[in-house]
Amino acid sequence: MGTVLPVRHQAPLPANMICTDAPSDEAIELDVLIVGGGPAGLSCAIQLARSAPELTIGVLEKAGSLGEHSLSGAVINPSALRALFPDLHDQDFPLRQPVSGEAVYYLTPTGSLRIPTPPTMKNHGNYTASLCELVRWLGEQAEALGVNVFPGFPAESLLVNGQRVIGVRTTAGGLDRERQPTDVYQVPTDLTAKVVVLAEGTRGPLGQAWREWQQVGSDNPQLFALGVKEVWDVARPLDRVIHTMGWPLPFDAFGGSWCYPLGPQQVSIGLVAGLDYKDASFDVHESLQRMKLHPLFRGLLEGGTLLEWGAKTIPEGGYYALPHRLSGDGLMMIGDTAGFVDVPSLKGIHYAMESGMLAAATIAAALQRGGGDAASLASYDQAVRGSRIVRDMHKTRNMRLAFHGGFVSGVVQAGLMTLTGGAFPGGRIAMPADVDAPRRVEPPETFVPDNVLTFSKVDAVFKSGNATRDTIPSHLVVGPDITGDVADFYAHLCPAGVYEREGDGLRVNPPNCIDCKATDVVGPRWTPREGGSGPKYRLM
Amino acid sequence: MPNILAVLEVRGGALRKGANELVAAARRLADVNGETVDALVCGPASVAADGLGAAGADRVLQGTHADFAHYAPDGIAAVVAAIGAPYRAVMVAATATGKDLAPRLAARLNAPCAMDVTAVDLQGDAIRVVRPVYAGKALQTVDLRGLAVIAVRPGAYATVAPGRPGVAESVAVPSFTQRLAVEPVRGSDKGSLDVAEARVVIAGGRGLGDPKHFALLEDLAAAFGGEAAVGASRAVVDAGWAEHGAQVGQTGKTVAPELYIAIGISGAIQHLAGMRTAKVIVAVNRDKDAPIFKVADYGIVGDLFDVVPALTAAVKTAKAH
Amino acid sequence: MKIAVCLRRVPDTTAKIVIGPSGTVIDETGVKFVPNPYDEYALEAAIALKERAGSGETVVVALGPDNVQETLRTALAMGMDRAVHLQGAASADGLENARVLADHLRGGSYDLLLFGKLAVDDYGQQTGAMVAELLELPCATAVTHLAIEGGRAKVEREVEGGVEAASCALPAVFTCDKGLNNPRLPSLKGIMAAKKKPLDITPVTVAAGRVTVVSLALPPERAAGRIVGEGAAAVPALMQILTNDAKVL
Repeated sequence: MGTVLPVRHQAPLPANMICTDAPSDEAIELDVLIVGGGPAGLSCAIQLARSAPELTIGVLEKAGSLGEHSLSGAVINPSALRALFPDLHDQDFPLRQPVSGEAVYYLTPTGSLRIPTPPTMKNHGNYTASLCELVRWLGEQAEALGVNVFPGFPAESLLVNGQRVIGVRTTAGGLDRERQPTDVYQVPTDLTAKVVVLAEGTRGPLGQAWREWQQVGSDNPQLFALGVKEVWDVARPLDRVIHTMGWPLPFDAFGGSWCYPLGPQQVSIGLVAGLDYKDASFDVHESLQRMKLHPLFRGLLEGGTLLEWGAKTIPEGGYYALPHRLSGDGLMMIGDTAGFVDVPSLKGIHYAMESGMLAAATIAAALQRGGGDAASLASYDQAVRGSRIVRDMHKTRNMRLAFHGGFVSGVVQAGLMTLTGGAFPGGRIAMPADVDAPRRVEPPETFVPDNVLTFSKVDAVFKSGNATRDTIPSHLVVGPDITGDVADFYAHLCPAGVYEREGDGLRVNPPNCIDCKATDVVGPRWTPREGGSGPKYRLM
Repeated sequence: MPNILAVLEVRGGALRKGANELVAAARRLADVNGETVDALVCGPASVAADGLGAAGADRVLQGTHADFAHYAPDGIAAVVAAIGAPYRAVMVAATATGKDLAPRLAARLNAPCAMDVTAVDLQGDAIRVVRPVYAGKALQTVDLRGLAVIAVRPGAYATVAPGRPGVAESVAVPSFTQRLAVEPVRGSDKGSLDVAEARVVIAGGRGLGDPKHFALLEDLAAAFGGEAAVGASRAVVDAGWAEHGAQVGQTGKTVAPELYIAIGISGAIQHLAGMRTAKVIVAVNRDKDAPIFKVADYGIVGDLFDVVPALTAAVKTAKAH
Repeated sequence: MKIAVCLRRVPDTTAKIVIGPSGTVIDETGVKFVPNPYDEYALEAAIALKERAGSGETVVVALGPDNVQETLRTALAMGMDRAVHLQGAASADGLENARVLADHLRGGSYDLLLFGKLAVDDYGQQTGAMVAELLELPCATAVTHLAIEGGRAKVEREVEGGVEAASCALPAVFTCDKGLNNPRLPSLKGIMAAKKKPLDITPVTVAAGRVTVVSLALPPERAAGRIVGEGAAAVPALMQILTNDAKVL
């Protein structure tokens, strides 16, 4: 059996993402442009609109409407919501229910062993929620404050002048497969701003391009995990938050599952695996399908209905993967784009929101003094480093990294780290990037969905609401030397059936793509495409 | 006594097919309370309408006017406005023409209007109808009080026996202004039938194995004699085996033919979303566990290269009779 | 050229339909609402006709509760000049809604009144033609072709087995079908401009009318299908069923 080394088959980031063209004469002029209408971007917009109402603020969102590309478990720490809306109460927020109980299990193929809840995973005082619903609500708040929210407009490139970011260019719409304009062609639009805030979410292409261009490194490469999630309508309510470790993940993969109650009739269930897994035939979607048949979950789901399906990557590198700079000339990075996720507590939403609010404070002050230059935005870096975002991430800085060597040693080390407040083992565990991790080629286990509890990828994509125009040009850039083994690796990696092995080659079905970005991490590159493409999540 | 007026469609001086069906629907409603059915026929001269009695019409009212050589909505509306008020209901077939006419009649008669009705009954003094809404994803039941205009979806009613006298009478055509000048219908210039319009859809999927095997489907469609169109699943359209216009499914066309024959289609939800409201679904697939069999009314498990030619021959024979 | 388009706000066509607790309307929780797709053909036609004429005014009108204002803004973002919100609850009786619209449009000196051929929620398919009758204007429904020349309109509509052409003097009412055009998407500039375009609110009262919704229900599940047989040998049995039981041949 052979090996697949993903990096050998990955194309570089497209060069056009840093664009030195002068902005079009028709460019829309804004004071502040936020790229990405998720929790980070909208929190930034809301805070900024309140503190500096004279500013013209725009939020570009690639989804057809707000929230349709947002996905999380989610158990939310409400502290950032409280800080952003001090006049509101918890019951005013679009959250589903308070966490009333929790349990952690170690799973085997047929059994489950309840284990003590690790201190980092305690969720008392937190709420289960649908991130889509939260984002839609945040969007309403932002619009009420006069923010220009533009759903359906992905940003394709950063407009730069010298070292300074001066705006973005949106993607064209209405191109055919050969990239020729059709009669609904939409010309790209330029937007200029004194400050561009990148809130693209996980594995944002402009964030990657800017860091490459500005040579902003990090101690460790960013690591990613892929989460596949389903929302089910169930007959009986679930009374607690469940997390599991172990099966159906291979021993040498990092990750786990969740199952959360979303009110009396719905549950969220999902599986996350680090993209440094070693078995090329490992498949997160299929593993989740198998997992739903486990006695721990089967009874809950039987008689229920799959309402929605989705997938997304999570930046898991933690403290040591944070970019050395979070801002530059005319640009800032917030939320998942910057990697503000604390893996041991499985939290990122409140950090995303908080980073947006910190960015807003810096922008308001900087623009009052008239500049969006690097020096005036650098106080955002200091603010973040002094905030609990980085404090919390520092405490758990090596925990995810410890699992690179396998599950058992990871558990032992993570326990010691918790006991020592992060001091053990001292220093930094160095990590290879996911794309550098070699994969063993193994024969896959075949899985046949029953279409009742388990579903194929094609059917799952339908349940994401994805109705992307079939005739869009491909937005996926496949790298060199794709063999049958590599094609198989991609086919298992992608949860949405975008990739299929065809003979010894690769077949790509771009309209299936639901923007999870998994292959951007270890396979074909994802680039922004026509606005409104991709999933249409309502419940994720 | 309140009665039912069925306004029939005339094209080129002749009744359109479906006239008997509409009269039958009117008959069923009239029979609930022992009422009578009047059929209104508007043509350039007296229209041959001998069969309407057998279909259930008590009277056949003929309105003749030179402008009725082709569709004259303003003229027909004037006739119905003149004679319609005493009726309990005015019924039309929910065809393109009927749907154009019904709201005009309703406005002239100051009556509520229900479109695309699949079931009609009396509920006390009200007329109770059922009609598909939300693209067939839900069924709405509504009561209409007083005189109502009901557009009945074609295919919803079978003709009934026993017949009625069908006494021919002429009806005065009041003078009217032709606000809209309509030209005679000209045959569709489309080369082939669109999947969204065909009465029968023959759809192929990856099971065909090769684009050249679409010929098998075209043969079967041809056997239906001009009322069948060939459709395709997204997988084969993506593979370039069929045109995008033929694609049935969530991102293609939504079809609701009377007969849908899925050949070599596994039945991904995205495909099912586009055809599950077909009246009858037949599936031919080699894999007995294919999801398509869960939605198909009738299935044949087997090699499509055996089954389809046999089916084509059988349809040809049936159509020859 | 002064053109009015009447617009409806409807659930996205891909929305899952859940019946609300009243049993007569859908549960709108989490449902995305969009401009009625057929009305978008009318909007596109209005905007394109004005562009071609080089002058005139395009007005978009919607009857309903306050949430239709969001839909009106989308129409303004596409390029309509101004919006009118007829603020009030619509009736289940389409004729009553048509009366309110006709009352508003009467005296507006419009050359053209455009509607979608149907709204994808209630599939009423009547408002446009009723408004035409109430205003005594010429009307054609479900048009797939529309040309204006010398004060006259020429239209085409698809009917069973062919195409029907018609013509009339302006002012006139048309309802628009798929195939008329490809509606444009709002541009960023359009969205920005829409915020500053006038949106007038006129409270209206719609009479209850004579239609009552008794119930709204999901269609019955398809009865479980059956395997007729295996291979070509099963064809005669299938033909028997299709001819005699299903009666589709």
